[in-house]
Amino acid sequence: MDVLANLGLGFSVALAPMNLLYGFLGVLLGTMIGVLPGLGPVATISILLPFTFSLQPQAALIMLAGIYYGAQYGGSTTAILVNLPGESSSVVTAMDGHQMARQGKAGLALATAALASFMAGTFATLVIALAAPSLAEVALQFGPADYFSLMVFGLVGAVILAHGSVVKAIGMILVGMLLGVIGIDVNTSVPRFTFGIPQFGDGIDFAVIAMGIFGIGETILNLERTGTARAYVQAVKNLWPAPHELRAMVPPACRGTLLGSALGVLPGGGPVLASFSAYALEKRISREPERFGKGAIEGVAGPEAANNGAAQTSFIPLLTLGLPANAVMALMIGALMMHGLHPGPQLMRDKPELFWGLVASMWTGNLMLVVLNLPLVGMWAKLLTLPYRFLYPAILLICAIGVYSINNSALDVLVATVFGFVGYLLYRLNCEPAPLLLGFILGPLIEENLRRALVISQGDPSVFVRRPISCTFLVLTAVLLVVLAAPMIRSNRERVFREGGS
Amino acid sequence: MKVRLSTDLLTGALFIALGGFAMAYGSRYALGTAARMGAGYFPMLISAGLTLSGVVLVVRSFFSASDEIAAIGWRPLVFVLAGVLAFGLLIDRLGLLAAGIVLVVAARLADREFSLVETALLAIGLTVCTAAVFLNGLGLPIKFLRF
Repeated sequence: MDVLANLGLGFSVALAPMNLLYGFLGVLLGTMIGVLPGLGPVATISILLPFTFSLQPQAALIMLAGIYYGAQYGGSTTAILVNLPGESSSVVTAMDGHQMARQGKAGLALATAALASFMAGTFATLVIALAAPSLAEVALQFGPADYFSLMVFGLVGAVILAHGSVVKAIGMILVGMLLGVIGIDVNTSVPRFTFGIPQFGDGIDFAVIAMGIFGIGETILNLERTGTARAYVQAVKNLWPAPHELRAMVPPACRGTLLGSALGVLPGGGPVLASFSAYALEKRISREPERFGKGAIEGVAGPEAANNGAAQTSFIPLLTLGLPANAVMALMIGALMMHGLHPGPQLMRDKPELFWGLVASMWTGNLMLVVLNLPLVGMWAKLLTLPYRFLYPAILLICAIGVYSINNSALDVLVATVFGFVGYLLYRLNCEPAPLLLGFILGPLIEENLRRALVISQGDPSVFVRRPISCTFLVLTAVLLVVLAAPMIRSNRERVFREGGS
Repeated sequence: MKVRLSTDLLTGALFIALGGFAMAYGSRYALGTAARMGAGYFPMLISAGLTLSGVVLVVRSFFSASDEIAAIGWRPLVFVLAGVLAFGLLIDRLGLLAAGIVLVVAARLADREFSLVETALLAIGLTVCTAAVFLNGLGLPIKFLRF
């Protein structure tokens, strides 16, 4: 069996002592930062990026993936114990999880989250192993026109699923693309928008933008929020669920796993969409929907399984097509590029040990998460009681050193300061910064493929509809846009987000 | 007529300003043709798109209500940014110890509860700890002290 041979290769990489160690470090650090209130996976990964720069690509990727799962789980811990969800995918967990904590069942809620996540992680790893090779096979036949249309489709998908105003999200993507233009144009060697500063010739590092917006900008925003919520820390005991509790959590976890794994693959999809949908599903099929919001275990198990499943399967479009589905995947693609790797169908063919090692490490990472968190949850809870006034200077310092260390460039720190301000401004203007990051990463790829496609067709734009693959993506994009314009579906989308947000 | 400073209006104005600037500045790059794109073709395309989405937002803000912009907390904004900026200006001249301490002190000034002794201890402690992790642990080539 091919799959078994591939997974065997993957596990031989993932189980190498050094890789296990970096995976463990990633999960540990990710949970540690992710557990801090107000810091979601995107901010956590941005802050911790510099720790992975000096590593080999393989180890760096495994560690980054570990940071991601850790941050995700840390966010759920905070949501359950303090009702301060770090990011939108934990908002749902907070609704019933925090109620459980108030009823003295914090331990059960945390265990439910951990076990449901592990179950979904295992399933999603298998999905990747089975689906990725055939998808990459297809992707190898893509020409420049097909890639162009695929990326447009991906960006439109991201817009639809962004919260809030669609026009703002489109604008943010374009701002990101404009920032991506900065630097020397590869085709004509003309320095574009460098304003005579030689260091801008290579473009702005995506890590500088990410740390500025998500590290510095969010810290300023968090400082404005006054008032501290009480952590239900003392209630953490009795972690292992009783048999009847296990029986209650397994069916919703299964449904969440399937739903999340499916939604994670969509462009713009990922954990946020998955957890909201899973919650809505559980509430709809429940015989006692009035229990939801008052500590229903299904309301924790379903969404937690879904968001972890989606977190994992959103690696599929990234690794097989080179298409980041959401902001976290945009960070991953950026980190890969810093190591000189270009995600896409060639990655699996040219570097099978890297690809399969990552896939296998997803499973070992999830296992570590359970093993680490069930006993250590008391320590994470203690971390929550640390006053914010000690934490945020540390976060800023790590960001500043991290930005400086990328190129040993003080100019990068100044640029990050500017993006810190930009990030703050965007939050104040109710603009989601995530599409900006996607536009920044995809912009240069879109330009490159647009140029190549039109060179091949000698300037004839009909190439985009004449090629069947490209045409399919454009039709799908058009369908998405129509869906977006349809008022009924739009109000539905707003309702789903509002139900979760309230 | 009183113009409300809605987030839509401000965002739109920002998009128009940025898109307009990029079109004006980018006009120095050759456009070329679709088959042979110059350096300016793609930037012109996206900055025109950006300007257009800005116009849509501004127009829309006159017809439908959106949230008004919330009050800006100047204190965290100014002190945090000043701290990071100072770090960037000092790191090459004085090294990590001085830059780190200045950053932490400025960051703590962003908070209303400020205690001198606590801040001093925090600044030194954090800088030494992060230096140990980044310089000794990760081996980054950053100078700790520089005169």
